[in-house]
Amino acid sequence: MEIFVAQLLNGLSLGSIYVLLVLGFNLMLVVAKIIQFAYPHLVVLSMYVCWGMLKYTNNMFLVVLASIVSCVIVNVAIEPIFRALSKKHGLDINVSFVVSISIALLITDVMSHALNYGFPIAFPTDWVGKSVLNFGLITFSVGQAYALIGGIAAVALFFYLLYRTRQGRVFRALSENSVLASIIGIPVVKTRILSYAIAGLLGGVTAVLFARLLGSASPSLGDFVAMKVVAVSILAGLGNLKGGLVCGLLLGIAESLAMGYLPGSWSNAIAFMMILIIMLIKPEGLFGIQI
Amino acid sequence: MKKNVLRVEGISVSYGPIQALDDVSIEVDEGEIVSLVGANGAGKTSLLRAIMGLQKVHTGRIVFMGNDITNTSTDKVAGSGIGLIPEGHLVFSTMTVLENLQVGGYHYPQEVSSSLESVFESFPVLYKRRNQIAGTLSGGEQQMLSIGRTLMSKPKLLMADEPSLGLAPKVISEIFNILRDLNEKGYPILLAEQNAKKALEFGDHAYVMETGRVLFQGPAKELMGNPKVRHAYLGGNV
Repeated sequence: MEIFVAQLLNGLSLGSIYVLLVLGFNLMLVVAKIIQFAYPHLVVLSMYVCWGMLKYTNNMFLVVLASIVSCVIVNVAIEPIFRALSKKHGLDINVSFVVSISIALLITDVMSHALNYGFPIAFPTDWVGKSVLNFGLITFSVGQAYALIGGIAAVALFFYLLYRTRQGRVFRALSENSVLASIIGIPVVKTRILSYAIAGLLGGVTAVLFARLLGSASPSLGDFVAMKVVAVSILAGLGNLKGGLVCGLLLGIAESLAMGYLPGSWSNAIAFMMILIIMLIKPEGLFGIQI
Repeated sequence: MKKNVLRVEGISVSYGPIQALDDVSIEVDEGEIVSLVGANGAGKTSLLRAIMGLQKVHTGRIVFMGNDITNTSTDKVAGSGIGLIPEGHLVFSTMTVLENLQVGGYHYPQEVSSSLESVFESFPVLYKRRNQIAGTLSGGEQQMLSIGRTLMSKPKLLMADEPSLGLAPKVISEIFNILRDLNEKGYPILLAEQNAKKALEFGDHAYVMETGRVLFQGPAKELMGNPKVRHAYLGGNV
């Protein structure tokens, strides 16, 4: 029982990172109609930015700011590539997938050649911190608490933006019908760029939380996580934001439970096996495709 | 003399090798209802799409309120005051009625609440259903929502593309009454309508189109009496 609770907590904090990544990924998918496979890579790149900043300052505000700014800038800088590939109303989503894989490879290569000589980076031990909770086998680190609480806050803000604000209505209108959106006066290109910026902002926050949860990062982390983000998005139903929320958490919990109960590191195999089986039964995803 | 609102001067549009519009010129004046009559494929929708910036214009120009808007991006055309009520009572079906109207006021965020009030006054049924998901409305209600959403953008010209398409006869006359009321409130209307009889009865001025060209034009009453128009579009001896 103790193992179960411990792994459940682990799973929730890991899951909240997946949820954040899937939300940013899905936002660009529904608004800009692209598969941005390189999004998790950008988040990992921002983890490197955090790490670099920490060498100069311990000011948490500055570190978070640097992470957010770098993620927004790089994500928005990528937008013209996708726009150039798109026709007036819509881009072939498969093309965007291939292009974003190239961008992902590029980012991974930069990290493995140019940053820290390609070695994994380690964050200061107080970033992950000691346990804040100790009951027998159950431990919950400061970093995990940050990931979970920060994750919940960011997700709540994200859904508030999308469902309660003017800009959110504009995003949803554009995601449902871009031609109709332009007919009623919504500037399609500008709104799409804004979705990249919002995803970048979310990504910058995610980078800090992820760093605090893991305590380290490596050039291959982007690929590793991107696979799961795409898988979760497909599993939930491409572009389904609420579905992504549920499935992101589920993946985190399933992985952690597998790690707690099964020998060795079977967590990946479990996760992808689960996805394979579900996709065979429900090809449109658990919650239905929404693009 | 009435002030000109929209002037289309000899525009041509083609989809690849197919010429959709060939040297088409029309005019809409202040307070006027102008009907575009013609069979499916005559070019009525292409003309509205070209005005709206949804279709590239190769030659000619489009002047709205004195400004050249030829090949301007659609959102800017909408922002400049042309409100298109698109074909097929299109609404954002996953959003609520209220949200549909709110996004319609994109260019006037400060005035959304006052615009909402006047739209709800004109369409009490939309107020009653304001929190309902738009996809669950009936066809007629969706058409009203589409009109209401267009009004939220404070248009200076309304363009309606086949507003009767897919609606029951009783609902159709209701929609036409609404458009008539809007015209009496001062909105000039450019109407594309397959039902020639309805369009000619409704319009002050009309253009009869066929295969991308304007065949006849004139006051709607006169066109109704034109034997050629009667023969081709009003089923002979109507």
